[in-house]
Amino acid sequence: MSQIALLLIHPAVTTTPELVVNAKAVAEQSNITIADQFLINKVNEGSIKLKSNNYDIIRYLTPEKPEEIKFPKKLIGTLKDALKLNGHLYGLSDVYKIDAVVNGFEIINDEGKEYHWIKKQEIKATPQAIPLKSKSAASGEMGAKKLPNFKKTPLPSFKKAPLPTFKKASPEPKVAKVVVIADDLDDDLDDEEDDGVFSDSTKARYLDVNDDDEDESIDEDDLVNEKSGNVAMIVCGKSKTKKKKACKDCSCGIKEEEEQEIDNIRSQQDKVVQFTEDELTEVDFTIDGKKVGGCGSCSLGDAFRCTGCPYLGLPAFKPGEAINLNSISDDL
Amino acid sequence: MSSTHKIAILYGSETGNSQDFATILSQKLQRLHFATTLLPLGEFNPNDILKVRYLFILVSTTGQGELPRNANETTTGSKKTLWSLLKKKNLPEGFLNHIQVAFFGLGDSSYPKFNFAVRKLYNRMVNQLGARELFDRLEADEQGMAGSNKGTGAGVEAVYFEYEKKIINFLREKFPMMKDSQGNRVERTEIDPSVYLKPKSYLKFAGVTTENTPVINFMGDESVKFGKIVANNKLTADDHFQDVRQLIFTNREESRREIDYNPGDTASIYPNNFDHDVDTFLNNQDQWLSIADKPLEFTNGVPDSLKCIGGIVQPLTLRNLLKYHIDIMSIPRTSFFMKIWQFATDVTRMERGQEQLDDQRDKLKEFGYDEDMQELFDYCNRPRRSVLEILDDFLSVRLPWQYCLDYLPLIKPRSYSISSGPSDPNIELTMAVVKYRTILRKVRKGVCTTYLSELPVGDTSLRYKIQNNNLIKKELHNHPMLLVSPGVGLAPLLSVIKTDNPVISKNIHLFFGCRFKDKDYLYGNKLEEWDAKGRIQLHPVFSRDRENSPDTKYVQDVLWKLGAEMTDLLANHEAVFFLCGTSGRMPLQVRLTVIEMLKKWGGFEDDEAAKDFLKEMEKDGRYIQETW
Repeated sequence: MSQIALLLIHPAVTTTPELVVNAKAVAEQSNITIADQFLINKVNEGSIKLKSNNYDIIRYLTPEKPEEIKFPKKLIGTLKDALKLNGHLYGLSDVYKIDAVVNGFEIINDEGKEYHWIKKQEIKATPQAIPLKSKSAASGEMGAKKLPNFKKTPLPSFKKAPLPTFKKASPEPKVAKVVVIADDLDDDLDDEEDDGVFSDSTKARYLDVNDDDEDESIDEDDLVNEKSGNVAMIVCGKSKTKKKKACKDCSCGIKEEEEQEIDNIRSQQDKVVQFTEDELTEVDFTIDGKKVGGCGSCSLGDAFRCTGCPYLGLPAFKPGEAINLNSISDDL
Repeated sequence: MSSTHKIAILYGSETGNSQDFATILSQKLQRLHFATTLLPLGEFNPNDILKVRYLFILVSTTGQGELPRNANETTTGSKKTLWSLLKKKNLPEGFLNHIQVAFFGLGDSSYPKFNFAVRKLYNRMVNQLGARELFDRLEADEQGMAGSNKGTGAGVEAVYFEYEKKIINFLREKFPMMKDSQGNRVERTEIDPSVYLKPKSYLKFAGVTTENTPVINFMGDESVKFGKIVANNKLTADDHFQDVRQLIFTNREESRREIDYNPGDTASIYPNNFDHDVDTFLNNQDQWLSIADKPLEFTNGVPDSLKCIGGIVQPLTLRNLLKYHIDIMSIPRTSFFMKIWQFATDVTRMERGQEQLDDQRDKLKEFGYDEDMQELFDYCNRPRRSVLEILDDFLSVRLPWQYCLDYLPLIKPRSYSISSGPSDPNIELTMAVVKYRTILRKVRKGVCTTYLSELPVGDTSLRYKIQNNNLIKKELHNHPMLLVSPGVGLAPLLSVIKTDNPVISKNIHLFFGCRFKDKDYLYGNKLEEWDAKGRIQLHPVFSRDRENSPDTKYVQDVLWKLGAEMTDLLANHEAVFFLCGTSGRMPLQVRLTVIEMLKKWGGFEDDEAAKDFLKEMEKDGRYIQETW
């Protein structure tokens, strides 16, 4: 009997189509039937619902390197649900080790075998006793298996949790806790010994700045001729020098480069803003006949867009809604 | 409400970079429970210097090697500042020996007077007045070719963060303990970054409901004046790429039209936002909508930061603040993100729920805290993205109105050279409307020049101040004058030429450069009329107009062409050389040309001798450069 499999695809796989081809070839050889093939985004946004207990194998295809995989954590539970007991999940990595264990997966990381996770019996929430040892024994794969190492890995972080999730529109934003800096904090500084040659009262008589006589003032320009002391060098410069900006009267070519870049980006924009509303619904997460890269970030605004995204320079928008041309149409 | 703390962070800032770094430093110290005073150098009450023990100075340098305006004078134009006090000759050597100080200079080594301002402060305060330096000062270079980041490939922010690190290390080591709310001494801790630091004074609803008059007024700055628009004309041809305006205004009160100014003086203009942009903001932060017109007041007096905004609008409402004081069209800086990221809280506006909200929070925090500012630079500075546009991209942000004057940038005034004759009650400006494109579809427009260009004749809402800059010394009147200006640099030179009671000089040469004779020859007819009447000798040059300018392109070409005569005026007749226009290569090339002229026709043997002569001219106020 052949095993039933699901292919989940990262939209950017369009840049490496051989991944899909390979996966299908392997499946054929191994008597695996690929029953479904979905874009991960569709599953993530909920427009595709996975059936429970449906697959023997789920394989996730992404061009990302294993250690750089970005995967919606909440989907890990969904995938577990879609797998049959002892079903295999391929394609994720130790980046999500904790989520795997939390969701009752066992991580198989044997030499000579492809890294994958196996869905085990549901473990009930007993945080202090995750039965790793017994589980690995139960899996029947003894020997070289590496256990997930929890020594240095922080526990699942709930730092982000404390923000209340507003189910309904909240008229007032949640204002973070506010602290007043106590005015008298610098009382601490009083234990400074005053080794001044002059007391404050002696100095105070120089404070009368009422006489505006320029002649009574030193000439600023004389100050820079004197020795100017030492300048400290920075120890380490983590930051890079920013990409050079063209001077107002640039003649070295940077200005032209900038203009060229702007022109390129704008001609890209011209293409996407001419999409019809129908096309825009497809724009976000399509592979076939895709209008843009399907990283899923196009609608989120420039801060989240990829380099080279054809939407660069356009406002954030709701997936499926036409871009508001009124807000962007007044060209030079 | 000013009470000076023992730790003071004072800055001098022209474009806002130093101010932003100073704000970041102040935030970080406050998060360690160090109370700090944060002010422009010029606003700091000089008498308070006796209360300060730890002084942190962050200062940029203007093109002329001087301290920025907000370090040299108060916002009301008074020169009674800390710096003027410290320059008094009669101060004893140990005057500042109660102070430990650390300096951060922000400069650009493409200008000859790189970081002169911080060096002046250092020499006076440390070498002459006995302040003790906590550590060697840091000098940042935009070009990475000099100062603390010379040859490191690191940007100015790396220098700032080094400065910050040294200060924090020092203070934490020196003051490891602090007092808790009960007054017990406990170990000094850091306030969590997700906690918003409440400002000392913020907005609340006014206790008494005042009658809501539609009349707009400004309180708290007597030096601000109101202008009535007399003329607003486009000077360039319709098909020319640049829109240059002649704007004439006069004081709206007839009794106050007498005004004292001279050639080279500037008008400082307080622009305001357009109503439709204010509406866009309010619709984005729609929790403000229902209260936008309610009268407000401050919980604890007017905050120090509002000293520089040209008086506070009355009635004090959110809508009026957004229109007149809050710079929603500006490109925000790091400190903005540092302060607002916690307010990304509204998941209902997130298509993708909590995950997207978390992403937005993380991104905003990264913009506020990442020491490598590249991401922020690419997202904000390069495309020139405004606060308004950023809020549109980050819909999770719900801003609390009470603290808006703390975390939103404020509109600063812009200075324009006056082109009318001295003390003419009809004040004339000549300025180019700033407009350019970036990758953002919407055209970028200069906030102030756009505001000015749309003021209709008869409008009486223009807020302005006159700044006396004393560029041309009285004793140099009647000397020959070489006035040099490409483009709108002409503005202050017009004021020189119009000085006719008595005429400022009988021997004026004007070198004016533009692109085309029939497109941007500003006031061309007027200039030629003056030339015909012998008021000036006009030497126009058109850089892209071969027909009308066959053998010269730029002003320096014409200077060279008339080299023998002009050099004679400079070297032998104490002529004044007044150069105006855009900064960058133009002033450098003109300067080089003058040096070559002095060598060729002035009898100066080598570069060194010619340069020395030029420096002497500068010192005497005979070589004046006003570039921006």
